[in-house]
Amino acid sequence: MITKEKINSYIDKIPPAPKALRATIQLLNEGELVKAAKIAQTDPALKSYLTNMVNKPIYGFRNEVTEISQIFGILGVSGSQQAVYNYMVTLLSPSKWKLFKLNAKSFHNLQDQLSIKWQKVLQHLKIKNVDIQSSITLLPASIIVSEALFCEHIDDVNLLRGTKALDYNTILSRLCGVDLFDICQMISKKWDMPEDIAKIVQASSGVKPSDDESINTLGKWMHLLLFFELSQPVFIEANLNDFIDFQIDYVSDIYEEFSTLMEIGS
Amino acid sequence: MRAIVKDGIGIFSPQGFLDGNSATSFLTIEDINATENLKVDMILVSLKKVIFFNRNGLDTFVKMFVKVRLKNHATVGFCDYDNKKFQAIMNFYKDDINFSLFKTYEIASLFSSNFKNDSKSVLLFSDDKSQRSAMAIELHDNGHNPIIAQTKQEFLEKASKEGSYDMVIEDTYLGQMGQKIATRVTGNAIIYTISSFLDANIGNTFNIAYHNNSLNVGFTLFIFDAYKVVSMNIHALNFFSRLASSAAEYNATICFAGMTFDKIPKAFKETMEDSGIMFFEQMDDILHDKKLLEDLGGSSAVATKNKRAINKITVTELPNFIDATVLTIEMMTNSKAIKEAAEIHNIEIKEKTDKLASSIGFYGDMDGMVILVFPKDIAKKACELLIGEETNDAELILDSLSELVNIIGGKVKTLLADKNINVNITLPRTYNNIDNLLEMTTARKGVQVDLAFDNDKFLFFLTR
Repeated sequence: MITKEKINSYIDKIPPAPKALRATIQLLNEGELVKAAKIAQTDPALKSYLTNMVNKPIYGFRNEVTEISQIFGILGVSGSQQAVYNYMVTLLSPSKWKLFKLNAKSFHNLQDQLSIKWQKVLQHLKIKNVDIQSSITLLPASIIVSEALFCEHIDDVNLLRGTKALDYNTILSRLCGVDLFDICQMISKKWDMPEDIAKIVQASSGVKPSDDESINTLGKWMHLLLFFELSQPVFIEANLNDFIDFQIDYVSDIYEEFSTLMEIGS
Repeated sequence: MRAIVKDGIGIFSPQGFLDGNSATSFLTIEDINATENLKVDMILVSLKKVIFFNRNGLDTFVKMFVKVRLKNHATVGFCDYDNKKFQAIMNFYKDDINFSLFKTYEIASLFSSNFKNDSKSVLLFSDDKSQRSAMAIELHDNGHNPIIAQTKQEFLEKASKEGSYDMVIEDTYLGQMGQKIATRVTGNAIIYTISSFLDANIGNTFNIAYHNNSLNVGFTLFIFDAYKVVSMNIHALNFFSRLASSAAEYNATICFAGMTFDKIPKAFKETMEDSGIMFFEQMDDILHDKKLLEDLGGSSAVATKNKRAINKITVTELPNFIDATVLTIEMMTNSKAIKEAAEIHNIEIKEKTDKLASSIGFYGDMDGMVILVFPKDIAKKACELLIGEETNDAELILDSLSELVNIIGGKVKTLLADKNINVNITLPRTYNNIDNLLEMTTARKGVQVDLAFDNDKFLFFLTR
C-alpha cells in the first residue's frame, strides 16, 4: 500500500540543502561563480563530488582539475548549477538499490550522461536558460524517490509485472495516484524551480503534452533522450528501460534530427 | 526481460534502441532458457516501441527463435512494425529468413488458432505467391475465411472498401509454422492441439500431470483440436481410451474436433466412442454451441474421485496461503484485511447471489486447491488495478479475476519455494455462478477462512 502521506514523506527527505549548499545554489543563480566557488570549497563532500565528476574521461581534460573555482569556470553557470543539483540528488540515493539494479557509480553515470547530452540538445536548439538546463536533474531524483516507494513492495510489483505487461510508471500511478513525472514536479517545487520547468518534465512523459509548442518540443527531446540513455545495456539490466512507456509516435517528428545529433547508426 | 503470455502467445516488448549491445541486455541467457520452457503456441517480439534497430540487435532474438522452435515447435517471429521496418528486416535476412513476420499482434493471433476469435473474413496479399497460399491455408485451418488478392492493385482496391473485411493482412511473412501439443483455455474448456501421426510417443509429449490437475481443479471439458491429425496407431488409441476413462471418474468429457478417419481404421472410432469420447466435425460446433458448452463444461463436475482429506502439510502451510492472498489483495485494493474465522469443514457460502469465484490448483511436493469467493463489488475493486479503470464488463472482470488468482498462485509458489517446497500451479478457473462451484466442491473438506476488507467480506477455502 502506498499512500499520499508516504510519498510526501519521501519528498520531504529531499535535502533541505545544507547551508553551504543553499548558498552555493543561490550565488550560482545570481551568476556569481567566484563567490559560489568560495562557499562550495567549505563543503568537503561537495568538493570531492565535483572533482571526481569533472575528472571523468567523459569531460576529457588532460590534467587533473582540483580547484572548485576552476571547475565552476569550466562548467559555466548552468553546468555548475546542474552539478550541484546532481550532488543534492546523490545525497538522497540509497546505499543499496533493490528494485532498480543500480549502484552509486552507475547512478552517477546516468546523471552525467543525461546532463551532458541534454546540454548538447539545448545547444543544438539554441536555448540558453539555466533552469531549463537544470531540469534534466529532476529525472534521476525522481527515480530515487520511486525506488524508495517501490522498495517495500518489490515482490508484489514483480508479480504484477509478470502477469501483465505494465511498466513501472503505470504501476506507480495506479498504486499511488502519482507518476514519475508528478514526482519530478513535486521536487521542482521543493527546489524552487520556475513553473515552466515542471511543465517541460511533464511533457517529457510523452502522455501529457503541453499546449505550449516550445515546451512540447523540449518535452519531446527529453523523452527521446531519456530512452536513448535507458537503452544502454547497464540501464536495461538495471530494469530502468521498463520504467516508462516509450511513446514512439510522440517523438517521430524529431527522431531524424536527434539521430543525426547523437550520431546514431553511423 | 521475460515474455508476457496471453492466450497461448508469449510476447516480448523491448523499447528504445535495439543494437548488438542493448539486445543482449534485453535478452539474457536465463531469459532464453525460460522462454524455451514456456508452453505456448507462439513467441513474438513486438517492435512497436523500438525506434531504432540493426541486424545485430535482431540477431540476438533470432538466435532465441531458433532455440525455442527446436525445443517446442512454437511459431516464432517479430510483430508490430510499419512498412519501413518490414523492408529493413527483409533486407537484413533476404533468403535466410526462418522466422515469421506479422504486421500486427492481431494478425499474428489469427495464425495462432486462438478460438476466442470468431471466424474472421480476411483480405490478404503478399508479393510472394507461395506465401499467399501458405497464409490462406493456415487461416482456413484456423477457421477463418481468407480472400487472396492476386495483385497489389487488386489488394489496394479491395482494402479501401471500408468494413468489407474484419482484417487486412499485408507486410506479413510466414516462416516455418510450429506444431505441437499446446494447451490453452477458452471459457472453461481446455483445448489441446494434436497433429500428424499419433503413436506411443503421445504418452511423452502429452503433459499428463497438467491434465490430471486440471481435472482436480474442476475443468470438465477437454477438446482435442485434431484437424491436422493424419493417422494414429493402436498405442495412441489405448492412450486416449485410458484418458477418457480417467476423465469419466471426474464426470469430465473429452471431445475431438476436426478428426477425419480416412486413414484410420473405423473400429478405432468405435472404440473411442465406447470409452466416452465425443467427435465433432468442427471446433465451432462445440465452441459456438452455448448450450452444449454449458452442459459439458460449465457445471456438473461431480468430483467423485475426491475423497482426499486435507493433510498435515496443507494445514502447516496454511499461513503462507493466507498471507499470499491477503497481501496481494491488500496491494490491489489499498485496504486492510482482517481475518475473521478459520475452520475445517465443507465449503459454506451463505449468500449466493452477486458473487464470483475463482480457483487455482497446485501440485508437486504438495497438492491442493485454493478457492476464493468474492462479492462482485470487491472483485471489481480488486481488478481495477489490472484493468486500469472502472468497468462493469462481466467477462473482463472474470478475466482479470483469473489473473488476480494467478498472481496469488505465483506468490504462494514463491513463498513455498523459500521453504524448499516446490509446486506448480494450474491455470485458474473462474465461476460466475456459485452453484457450479459448490457442485465441484461437494464432499471436499477444507480449511475455510473468512476475511473482511473494510466491511466487505470474502471467503478463502483451501482443499485437496
